[in-house]
Amino acid sequence: MNAPPIIQTRSLAKTYLIGDVRVAALEDVTLAFGEGRFVAITGASGSGKSTLLNLLGGLDTPTAGTIEVDGALISTLDRDALARYRRFGAGMIFQSFNLIPSRTALENVELPLIFANVDKRERKRRAAELLAKVGLAHRAGHRPAELSGGEQQRVAVARALANGPRLLLADEPTGNLDSRTAREIVGLLAELNRGRRLTVIMVSHEESLVREFAHDVVRLRDGRVVAAESRA
Amino acid sequence: MKFAAGVEFALASLRKRRLRTFLTASGVMIGIGALVSMISFGQGMQKNVTAAFKASDLFNTIVVMPGGGLIPFDDPDRGPRPEEKAGRADAVLDDAAVAGIARIPGVRMAYPDISFPAQVGLEGEEELRLVRVIPAAVLASNAAQVRWGKAFASDDEEGVVVSRTLLRRLGAADPAAAVGKTLRITSVSIDFSRLASLDLAALFSGRGLPVDREGYDFPIVGVLEVGAFGGGPGLAQNDILIPPGTSGRIKRLPFSSLWDLLRMRDGRLGYSAVSVKLGSLRDLEAVRSRVREMGFTTFALADQFEEITKAFYVMDMVLAAVGMIAIVVAALGIVNTMVMSILERFREIGVMKAVGAGDGDIRKIFFFESGALGLIGGAAGCALGWATSLIINRVINFILARQGMPPIDYFAFPLWIFVGAVAFSLLVSLVSGIYPARRAARVDPVVALRHD
Repeated sequence: MNAPPIIQTRSLAKTYLIGDVRVAALEDVTLAFGEGRFVAITGASGSGKSTLLNLLGGLDTPTAGTIEVDGALISTLDRDALARYRRFGAGMIFQSFNLIPSRTALENVELPLIFANVDKRERKRRAAELLAKVGLAHRAGHRPAELSGGEQQRVAVARALANGPRLLLADEPTGNLDSRTAREIVGLLAELNRGRRLTVIMVSHEESLVREFAHDVVRLRDGRVVAAESRA
Repeated sequence: MKFAAGVEFALASLRKRRLRTFLTASGVMIGIGALVSMISFGQGMQKNVTAAFKASDLFNTIVVMPGGGLIPFDDPDRGPRPEEKAGRADAVLDDAAVAGIARIPGVRMAYPDISFPAQVGLEGEEELRLVRVIPAAVLASNAAQVRWGKAFASDDEEGVVVSRTLLRRLGAADPAAAVGKTLRITSVSIDFSRLASLDLAALFSGRGLPVDREGYDFPIVGVLEVGAFGGGPGLAQNDILIPPGTSGRIKRLPFSSLWDLLRMRDGRLGYSAVSVKLGSLRDLEAVRSRVREMGFTTFALADQFEEITKAFYVMDMVLAAVGMIAIVVAALGIVNTMVMSILERFREIGVMKAVGAGDGDIRKIFFFESGALGLIGGAAGCALGWATSLIINRVINFILARQGMPPIDYFAFPLWIFVGAVAFSLLVSLVSGIYPARRAARVDPVVALRHD
C-alpha cells in the first residue's frame, strides 16, 4: 500500500434493531484502502460484507465510527449530500444487476447522468461511449430481459461509471453468473482498475477470482475484520 | 434532475401502465367534465338572463308608482325598503304628473302602464288575457321583437300586436298566416242603462251587477316572437299590445283591480304605475330623486340586478360544489394510483437512489407523474364537459322546439372555463401527489434493493 488511502474507516459499527433485539452487523471495522487498488472483501454469508459495502457506497449510514473517502467524511453527510456522493463519488453494481426492466441498456446507463443534470444529447453520447467501453455498443437498444446475465452486468458496470466516480463498489457481482462469465466480468473490473486508476472494492466469496485479481483481501467474520492481507 | 427529464420519466411510466393511467385519468376527466358543464351551465344561464334584461330596455326604466300605500306585490313578510316609504299619500299619478315627469332632464319617455283584463277571441277560440296599452314609440324603441307583420306605427292605428304564445293557444299555429286576421277583444264596462233600475238585493248576492260586455274587432298587424325564458321581463311578456288612441275606443271599467280603488284620493284615481325610460342609466339617480320630490314612489330594476347577480354567484357556487364531489373522488383515485405505484416500483426507487437520485429527484418523478395525470384528465375533461353540454343543449332545444321556443345556448364557454379547469385539475393532481411523492422519497434504498 504505497498510495495514500482513498478510503479510511475508523471503528465502523452498524447495528440493526430487529424487534427489540439489537443485532450487530458490523463491529469495530477499521480499514484503509489505497487509491487504484482492487480490494476484495470476503467472508461467509451474514458476515457483514454487504453491510460494509452499503456503508462505503453511501446507501446506508453507520451506527458508530467514521468513513472518510478522499478526505471527506461520508459518515456524517445529510441525505442530499449522500445522494450526491452516490451520484458522483461511488458507482455500485450488484449481484442481481438491478437494471430497470422497462428501460433499454442505453437508457439504464443514462440514468445517473439524468440525476447529474447532463443534457440529453451529451447524455446519449456518453452512455453510448460507456457501453462501447464494456463491449456492448451493439446491444444499446435492448431491454435487460433481452440480454444475458453477463451482458446485464456489463450494462450495470457502464452505468456505475457514468458520472466518472473514482470508486467502484461491487456487491457479489458474479453471484448470478456462470464461472466463465464471472471471470469475464471480474476481468473487466480488473481492466478498468488498471486503465483508469479506478479503485475497485468487490465483495465476493469466489476464492479463485479473489486470488487471481485482488490486490488486497479483507476477511470478515461475524461483522469483524479477521484478516487483512495485501499483495503486490 | 431537469424538468424535461422529469416529464420524460413521468410519461414513460404512464405509458408503461396504460390501463391504470387510462382509468385514473378517466376519473379526473369525469370530475373535470362535470365541473366544466356545471359551471358553463351557470354561465349560460347568467348570460341569457342578463342578455334578456339588457335587451328588454328595463335597465333604463324607472317604474313610478303613486305615493302612499303600496300594492304588496312583494313578499309581505319583508320589511319595506327605505325608498318605498318615500311617497306622499296625496300624490296622484294623473296625466299632468306624467307630463311633469316627462319634462325632467334625462327622461326619454314617460307613459302610463295601463293594462286591463279582457276576453280575446280568434276564429271561435277564446282566452282570458290582459291587454296592454303601449305607445307606438315605445314598441318601436323596445326590444320586443315583432317577428311577423309589423308594429303599429301610430298611437291611433287600428290594429293590435299579439304574442305567438297567444296565437298558439288560440289554435293559430302559423304566426305569419295570422297577420291580417281579426282579433275580437271583449271588455266589461258599466251598463248605464241598467243603473236606474238597480236591484240592490240581487246586487249584494252577486247577481244583477250593472255591467255589460262588448266586443271590439281589431286586425292583427304584428306577432311577437317568444324569447328565451319567456322573453325576459318586459313587453315581450304581454300577449296583446294595443296603441293608446285605439284602446280609447274600448269601453271598460276605469280600474283593473280593487287595489286601485283603495288607493283613490278625493275621487282621483290616477294610473297605478308609470314607466319612465331614461336616455342613459347615468341619469338614474337624478331622475329618481326628482320623481320622489314629486311625492311618488320609484322602483328601478337596475337596483335589483345586483341581487340577481348575487343569486347567480350563489348558483355558480352550488353547481361548482356538486362538481367538486367528482373532483374529490378523482383526487382520491390519483392518490391511490400513485401509492400503488410506489409499492410496484419499490425496487426501482432503490435502484434510482443507488445510482445517485436524491430525495428531491424521486419526489419530482412522482409529482410529475400525478401532475401529468391531472393535465391529461383535465384536458380530456374539458372535451367531455363541452361535448356533454352540447348534447344536453340539443336535447333541451329539441324538446322546447316542440313547444315553439326558439333554440338558445343554455351553456356558455368563455375561455377561462377551459383554462381554469385544466389549471384546477393540475393543481388538484399535484396536491394529490404530495403524499405519494414524499412517501416515495423516504424509501430506504438498502431495504428497497433487498426487496423482490
